[in-house]
Amino acid sequence: MDREAEFRRLFDAHRGPVHAYFTGRTGDRQAAADLTQEVFLRVWQHLDKLTGMPDDGQRAWIFTVARNLSIDAGRLTRTRTDTERALARRPPQPGAPASVPVIAAERATVVGEAIKELPDDQRVALTMAAAGTMTSGEIAAALGVPAGTVRYRLSMARRALATALDNYDHAGEER
Amino acid sequence: MSLDDDISAWAATVRLTDAEADDIFGRIVQAPVPDQAPQLHPSWWRGFTADFAARMVTSTRPARQAA
Repeated sequence: MDREAEFRRLFDAHRGPVHAYFTGRTGDRQAAADLTQEVFLRVWQHLDKLTGMPDDGQRAWIFTVARNLSIDAGRLTRTRTDTERALARRPPQPGAPASVPVIAAERATVVGEAIKELPDDQRVALTMAAAGTMTSGEIAAALGVPAGTVRYRLSMARRALATALDNYDHAGEER
Repeated sequence: MSLDDDISAWAATVRLTDAEADDIFGRIVQAPVPDQAPQLHPSWWRGFTADFAARMVTSTRPARQAA
């Protein structure tokens, strides 16, 4: 397999989970895209080292790079994220009866706002599961924590989101 | 709608699109690949080879002399 084809295979296999990880860490999908590019640039530059590794070794290598990058990125984006969070703290208000797609979009917005309010570890786990379509075992391996810890974080995050959606639904009933 | 549906709808709004991914891929594969190990200049090898050959010649004595 030539160099570009091998890189394409790794890129397609891991780009979603890596982008989801950074989205969870930064709360900003564009910043996550930039960081994803940084990770895969390193993959491209160290491809010979990765080629002989088993799949789980490749994933571990990629997420080690991602975690290291996110430490520096976290310092840079924290101020901006805090500002955005402060500006967007008011959740969208349910309005007059709307079509199903509009309601679905509003509920997705409520979910997004609630996710921003989650503790970092829960937000990262949930984003990796939802946007990265990763299992709790895969998330655990990527983050270097026990699978039970990931399942607990996911459970807590889902509970918080359910509460946020419940509040949104009841606010709509009261209007 | 279930909680999973709502989470999936949100996930679709943040996920990297194929166009964005292709853009990233295209930029990366144009990046130069660094050499895996520092390369020695060809003149160093020429000097090394000449020096090695000279040492072999001067340090090798006929068998009769060595005995």
